Order: sequence, then C-alpha cells, then structure tokens
Amino acid sequence: MADRSFDIARLPGFATIAVTIFVLLYLPIAMLVIFSFNAGDNVAIWEGFSLRWYPEAWANEAVKQATWRSLQIATCAAIIATTVATMAALGTTRRRQTRGQSFVYLMINQPLMVPEIVTAVALLIFFSSIKVATGYQGLGYLILAHAAFCIPFAYLPIRARLEGMDLSLETASADLYATRWQTFRHVTLPLVMPGAIAGLMLAFVTSLDDVVITLFVKSAGQDTLPTYMLAQIRRSVSAEVNAISTLLLLLTVVLLTAFFLLTRKRT
Amino acid sequence: MPEDTAVEVRDARKVYGQGAGAVTALDGVSLGIRKSEFFTLLGPSGCGKTTLLKLIAGFESPTTGQILLHGSDITFDPPNLRPVNTVFQSYALFPHLSVADNIGFGLKMQGRPKSEISETVTRMLALVRLDAMADRKPGQLSGGQQQRVALARALAPSPKVLLLDEPLSALDLQLRKEMQIELKRLQIETGITFVFVTHDQEEALTMSDRIGVMQSGHLLQVGDPRTIYTRPANRFVASFIGESNFLTGTVDGNVFTLDAGPRMEVGQTDGAPATGKVTAAIRPEQIRITSATLGDGIPATVTQTVYFGTDTHCRVALADGTEITVRLQSPASGDVGLHPGSEVTLKFEPGALILLPKAA
Ligand SMILES: Nc1ncnc2c1ncn2[C@@H]1O[C@H](COP(=O)(O)OP(=O)(O)O)[C@@H](O)[C@H]1O
Ligand SMILES: [Mg+2]
Repeated sequence: MADRSFDIARLPGFATIAVTIFVLLYLPIAMLVIFSFNAGDNVAIWEGFSLRWYPEAWANEAVKQATWRSLQIATCAAIIATTVATMAALGTTRRRQTRGQSFVYLMINQPLMVPEIVTAVALLIFFSSIKVATGYQGLGYLILAHAAFCIPFAYLPIRARLEGMDLSLETASADLYATRWQTFRHVTLPLVMPGAIAGLMLAFVTSLDDVVITLFVKSAGQDTLPTYMLAQIRRSVSAEVNAISTLLLLLTVVLLTAFFLLTRKRT
Repeated sequence: MPEDTAVEVRDARKVYGQGAGAVTALDGVSLGIRKSEFFTLLGPSGCGKTTLLKLIAGFESPTTGQILLHGSDITFDPPNLRPVNTVFQSYALFPHLSVADNIGFGLKMQGRPKSEISETVTRMLALVRLDAMADRKPGQLSGGQQQRVALARALAPSPKVLLLDEPLSALDLQLRKEMQIELKRLQIETGITFVFVTHDQEEALTMSDRIGVMQSGHLLQVGDPRTIYTRPANRFVASFIGESNFLTGTVDGNVFTLDAGPRMEVGQTDGAPATGKVTAAIRPEQIRITSATLGDGIPATVTQTVYFGTDTHCRVALADGTEITVRLQSPASGDVGLHPGSEVTLKFEPGALILLPKAA
C-alpha cells in the first residue's frame, strides 16, 4: 500500500493485542505438537523426547480404520463438491450478469450461514427416512452430507478465479473455429483448473475435520478420525490423540500452502 | 450480386429483447463490402456498429434479413463454421497460452498439421514484429503488443474477412497513430477484406477505402472518404464527419438565395429539391474571408477569433444573425488581422456549397 496516511498497525496498543491473540491461537497448538513427542503417558508432564506415540497410534486398528474412512469420505465429498461448485461457478461467472444472481450466490453459500447443527438435524431426519426405505447403511450418507457443506468452500476460490476474466474468451475461441467441446477443453477448463484444484483442497480439509454433521449422520461403527478422537478424549486424554492431531495438522498445512500458492495472483 | 462482393448484408434487422424493453439495434441495413477493401463502419456509440459485426461474425443472428459471404448464405451458420475472424476490443487473448499458442489457436482448432501451424505462427510473428515474444504470456506484454498478438491470431487462419471492433480505442494517441499505419500496411500486405469499426471520424477518413456512416440502426451513406467528406448525404453526415456550417435559404434551379440576403450559384444539386427551402452545408476551410466590404460575397461581422497554431478559427455573424465558423491558415506573424467587430466579406467556390436533401 502506497498510502501510509492511515496505518492500522500503528494504532496504540494494536501490536500488543495482535501478539496476544497470536499467542492464544498458536500456543495450544504448539503445546499439542510438543506433547505428541512426549516419552511419558501423561499429557501434562514432559518426560523427555520420544516418537513412541506415532507407531503406537498407527498400531491401533480403530485409528487405522477411522483414518481410512475419513480419507475416503473427504476424497469423495471433495470431488463431488468441486464438480458441483465448478459447474455453479461457470454458470454464475461465464455469462452476462442476470437478475437473481445474488439469490443464486445466497443459495450456493447457504451452508456457510445456516447453523451447522440445523443442517445436521435436517440431514439426520432426511437420511433416516431413506435408510428405512432402502435399507442402505453405507458411507454414502456421510459422503453426500459432507459434499453438501463443502460446496461453498469449493465454490469461493473457483469463483474468485473466474471472476474478472474476460467474458469474450469463449466467444473468441468459437470465432477461431473451436467447437463447443474444443472451447471447453482448450479454454474454459484450463482457466478454471487452478481454482478447481484450490477448491478441491479446501473442500478436502473442511470435510476431514468435520465433527457435528458427522456425529449426527453416521451409523454405528462409522467413526471418522475426528469423531474417534472425540470419543477417546471423553474417556481420557491420551498422547495418542496428540500424535494423530499433529499429523492432521501437518496434512492441513501442506494442503493450505499449496492452496495459497495456487490462488496467489501472478504478478 | 457482383462477383467482387465479400460480404453482403440484405435488409438486416436486429431487435434485442421483447415487448416493452425491446431495442432495435439495426433497422433494415443493406450493404455490400468488396473483396480486399478496407471498409469502415463509422457512427456514434450505440448506433449498431458492434451488432452489425456480430451478425457477420455469427455471434448473433438477425431478427430478419440475410448475410452472405462470398455469395453463400451464412445467416445461421455458427461462428466456428464461418471463415471470418474478429479482433476484439478487449483483445480477448487466452491468458493461459503463450503468444505463439494464441496465434496458432485457430489453425489448431481447424486440425491443421503441426508443421503448417508452426510455419504460419513464425510468419505471423514476423508480420506483426513480435518474433522475440513468442514464448511470453499475454499478461507480460504491453497494450500495443497485445493488440498485435490479437491481430496476428485473427489473421493466422487466413480468413476471408477480418472484423475489427474499435481495436485502437484502448491505446494512447501516439500508439494509436502507429497502429493505424500498421493496420493499413497489414491489410495491403495480406489482401484480406477488413471491416473496421470506429467512432473516430479522422481514423475512418485516413484509413478506409470506403466508409459506411451509421446512425441509430440505419446506414446513412456509403462512399469513399472524399465523397463522404465533400458530398455528405445529409445533415448528420455533414456534421459527424468533419465540421460543417449550415445555411438555410431557397433554391431555384442552380441559384441559391440565403435567408440572410445574398444569392449565389451552386455547383451540384443532386438529391436536393430543385426549388424551395433547403439547408446547405459548407466546410469552414472552404470559405475565404476578405476585409473589403465591396463587391459580391456575403457580408458578415467577426464575433470571435481563436488561435489554434496552424489554423485560426474565426466566428462570423451574417446579416440575419446566423453564426458560422471560418478556418483560416495562420499567417507567419500569427495574427490574421481580424478582430471582433471587423466588417468582412465571405466568398467561396460554387462547388463548395453542398445542398442537403430535404429530410435532413
Ligand atoms: N445484448 C444486447 N441486449 C440488449 N441490447 C443491446 C445488446 N447489445 C446491444 N444492445 C443495444 O443495441 C444498440 C446498438 O448497440 P451496439 O451495436 O453495441 O452499438 P455500437 O457498437 O455502435 O456502440 C444499443 O442501444 C445497445 O444498447
Ligand atoms: Mg460497439
């Protein structure tokens, strides 16, 4: 910013507040990471460095299954959500603005605004009637539920990518002898791709750490990693949970860094 | 239809929307554009120029009427089946493709062999003098360079007609002048029919073989720049292209009597009534001014002089109060020797007075 006449960072006390909030945000996470390398059983007393909790957590069959289930759900839900979000973003940005546009945005972003608990209860009721009717008990319900609330997270980066891109690009492509399919393949798709990948990763991370909706929708024995951890912590705080959390944190940091790199404006 | 017609527009009407909100963008336009000519559509913003180009390119289809290309009816062909390319006002370069891939895009979509594509791309890059930029992305180029890429991209597939929608309007004056010369050179070198849209009359006059002047969905006049300038078909054309003074009077045969009094001979009367009230136009630079108040000519009084460097514009009032502008070449001293209140006499060649048709 060239204009330095007003700089919020120079307000008195601002730096202190910012630092305090930073510490509040990151200190607990730092503690969690540190204690995942604790040699002892106790999560409050440091007894020396050890990697024992990582293989220990991995040896636990329940952890393995929950991890596998979480990855399955997050992958499927993210792909579904990104596909839907891409189509929605193409529909809302790659043509002339129409009336009702803001209503469409509102509809797409609805899961961000409706309290999660409401969505959870609604899905529970909706799916249980389907369960009764069809007898199907599989992971499909969780995948669909996750896909639904991941759509806005996938939609936002895709829309940001497409917005402000010249609307006449597709027209130019048609003018240069491209069929509809060729235009999609050689112009629209390459343009939307970085946004779609960013959306996919954001949706994946969002699905991976969901608790509320999962708790309501899952059938018995369908614990995901977060709901498994919640159940563990209710019993006793275990360093094993610290280890799993640290790994999840690592995965998230990697994905979000990639997201940042993809959505960064090229200069 | 004559053999040498590239594009023929037959009584095209285009209405956008329906009911109360309907806009008639083109109201019965008929036009023939010749092969290998630089044809310009000139008119104020909103007169339907872009709409006419869209009908030729195939981005819109006419509500009624026909479009023919080299004699065949293409009215309802989609854009990708028309051997016509467009240079967009916004350039519309593909941001994810290199300059070379942008230029080769049309040929690639047509399924031409790779060797032919790379050969053509090299030739096009040389044509628009961008050989060194082949691997850059459009975002790394200046406005003028992007403009050249857009041109090369549209020329690469050797279209029968190239459409250019105000391609120079985004450039600053200096670059615009350069590109005007460049465009004209490209048109002559390639021999492709250019249909160029602008609202800039000077641009139209300097570049075109022929000009079509449009106003609110109508084509008012088609002709070469000299004809359009010296023989405007009506008052709108006379005032939109160059400056004009308008004089009212009565005509009887080839004698024109000004409402202000004096009578004079007129050169041409085509389209104008042979007798009765008419409006006549005269260009500011066609009028000579003398400080003598004797002899024939139109007596007038100077009201204002404005110095423009090479020219001095002189506002004079006729006996009945009509104000007209006279453009004089500034003398070496810079002072034309006329001041508000000076009594003068105006003279001009009979051919300089243009009688306009009644409707205007
Ligand atoms: N897609 C459209 N929908 C409705 N009206 C339009 C559309 N395109 C152009 N118009 C109207 O048609 C008229 C002619 O527009 P246009 O051909 O773009 O003029 P120009 O290019 O000469 O400025 C204008 O009144 C414009 O508002
Ligand atoms: Mg236009």
